[in-house]
Amino acid sequence: MKAGKIRLLAITTAALVLTTTAVQSSQAATKPAPFNAGPVKIALVQNSGAGDYFQQWTNGAKKQATAVGFEMQVYDAQADAAKQATDMETAIGSGVKGIIVDHGNADTMCPGINKAIDAGIPVVVYDNDIRKCAPRAVFTSQSDEALATAVLGQAVKDLGKNKTVGYVNVLGIAPLDRRHLVWLKITKAQKWTQKFFVGKFTNSVATDNAQLVDAALKANPKISAIFAPYDELAKGTISAIYQNKLQSKIKVYGIDISNADIDLMTKAGSPWTATAGTDPNAIGAGVVRVMALKLAGQQASTVVSFPGVLITAKFLKTNKIKNMDDLRAKLPSLSMSKAASADWIPSVTF
Amino acid sequence: MKKVKTIRTKAEFSARDFLVKYGFILVTLISFVSFFSTQDTFRLSTTFFSMLKYTSVVAITGLGITFSMAVGGLDLSVGAVAGMAVTLSAMTMVIYDKSAIVAVALVLLAGVVIGCLNAFLIVVLKIPDLLATLASMFAIMGLKLVPVKGQSVSSGMMMQDGTTAPGKFTDTFLKIDSGQLGPIPYAVIVWMLLTVACWFFLTRTTWGRAMYAVGSNPEASLLAGINVKRYRALAYILSSVLASISGMILASRIGQGDISAGNSLLLDSVAVALVGTSVLAMGKPNAWGTALGAFLIGVVITGLTIAGFPYYGQDVVKGAVLLLALVFSFTLSRKKSRFISAV
Repeated sequence: MKAGKIRLLAITTAALVLTTTAVQSSQAATKPAPFNAGPVKIALVQNSGAGDYFQQWTNGAKKQATAVGFEMQVYDAQADAAKQATDMETAIGSGVKGIIVDHGNADTMCPGINKAIDAGIPVVVYDNDIRKCAPRAVFTSQSDEALATAVLGQAVKDLGKNKTVGYVNVLGIAPLDRRHLVWLKITKAQKWTQKFFVGKFTNSVATDNAQLVDAALKANPKISAIFAPYDELAKGTISAIYQNKLQSKIKVYGIDISNADIDLMTKAGSPWTATAGTDPNAIGAGVVRVMALKLAGQQASTVVSFPGVLITAKFLKTNKIKNMDDLRAKLPSLSMSKAASADWIPSVTF
Repeated sequence: MKKVKTIRTKAEFSARDFLVKYGFILVTLISFVSFFSTQDTFRLSTTFFSMLKYTSVVAITGLGITFSMAVGGLDLSVGAVAGMAVTLSAMTMVIYDKSAIVAVALVLLAGVVIGCLNAFLIVVLKIPDLLATLASMFAIMGLKLVPVKGQSVSSGMMMQDGTTAPGKFTDTFLKIDSGQLGPIPYAVIVWMLLTVACWFFLTRTTWGRAMYAVGSNPEASLLAGINVKRYRALAYILSSVLASISGMILASRIGQGDISAGNSLLLDSVAVALVGTSVLAMGKPNAWGTALGAFLIGVVITGLTIAGFPYYGQDVVKGAVLLLALVFSFTLSRKKSRFISAV
């Protein structure tokens, strides 16, 4: 833990130095208004800034904000919907030039978002589908279609047609629903036979789903692969596979990537063959760039989606990747620095 | 008592008494002024009113806690009741497509029913307050999820039979939180009116005084001819009703039947009622103290949020403020506080 912290500190410092140099070197490209006259104030209204994912997301957003010339005020509602609505009002009143809304309920946030836009403050929203109730805001998300397509494309390559497969997913959750649609399309095209479809969403997804998959595997041990399009589901699936000693027979395809996921994938004999993911840091930074483009009048579209990257266990093993930092170094496409950017926006590293 | 007084020097005496009496107000003022002078955003009137609006939910729930503490108990089910109010108002309007007035009436009725149930458990079945309301807290949290199958209720949601929900949060209902009279949000007006009403009830009516009597010494009250059971029951009913009112404001703010709403309300509202006991050296739960306690928590949370403090830091500060207030009312005060034995 301590070593990890020190390493993190070292990396942060290194990244900070890099960021500063990036800012200096990019001064050549002239910045458009309003970035040519001192820092531009914006607000980030988050549903939650806690937890591994959100901390990285916020970290990326903050770095990009500083690099592009934003002075960003962060409001963290601590997963309290009512507080996020209040924070939005405070942000609107605070005289910022733009507001980024990260997660939350559409019904809760739309009135505030529309109020901000009416007051001439552009709003960029991440992963909160406000397209119906606040169509003038810019909606950004990671592309679940791209993630599912990438990882299932690898599955198609590995398996071929006419295979029997298992499926672990929970419907009714927007991103998982979008991944589900890709699964339906590909199973149909490849003539895969789905032997089981289990999954539930609880407080401990991995543990609870291991039980379900265990039962499903006992009934259908002869399948070639399982698709579990969310890393917690994949974790549960893998532990069930180990329990039934089927790791040499069944390949697992997941979605998402984290330090823990890399560890699981690189273990000798791990059934987790491929995953697709995004770097939360890169997404946070990307969303801030969208805000910069919007304020500079260079963001015409109101929908932006960030693509994911395919990551195979083979790639991780051959490159001896142990964690996200190694992965960032070996797989530069993860940083998505070209997505939603312009030559006057300095790119950042994490 | 008299003897002690003569021994103490005059200066020592007044400094300590000043702190006990005004210490809490001083802390509030200092926090307010320091945020006011350092944070530009904090200075805006819109920030001030949105802060009051955010605080009103905790404050109104805290008023309910004030009643249960006044009779010497504690109602742990308030957060669950507020959460129930959120889900119930969402169901009424979204799934059953009824008007805002029906939703408000149903939620208030549910508040009364749960209050009666708590009172029954405590007064008739003689289960200790904390245990009874702990049990009802879990029961309510679970029960509210049964009709909605554990899902948040939102406009246009998919129903079990595949159709979409017919209704939506009506504009009238959404006005509870978003509407305002001049610059003052309705929610804040409701909070102020309820505070005045509770203050009047607790201090200016025989009922209220009887409640305090019950809280400080139930046996003596019984001997004095006070119907102890009735007052304890009344306190729990009022507590539930106030919690359901704050739940309605919460529902109006969130605009959907968020199933996690109200979860964090219990601890915050107990905190504001507790710190309220130290205001003006009252030494007992009181309506204005609760209001001021809620205001202080609001100032601290809003100020720290604007200053960019992380959430765990905010909890540390909240805890420290609570401790400070408790030092005023327990350590420094010469009055013996008998009301919050349950905590």
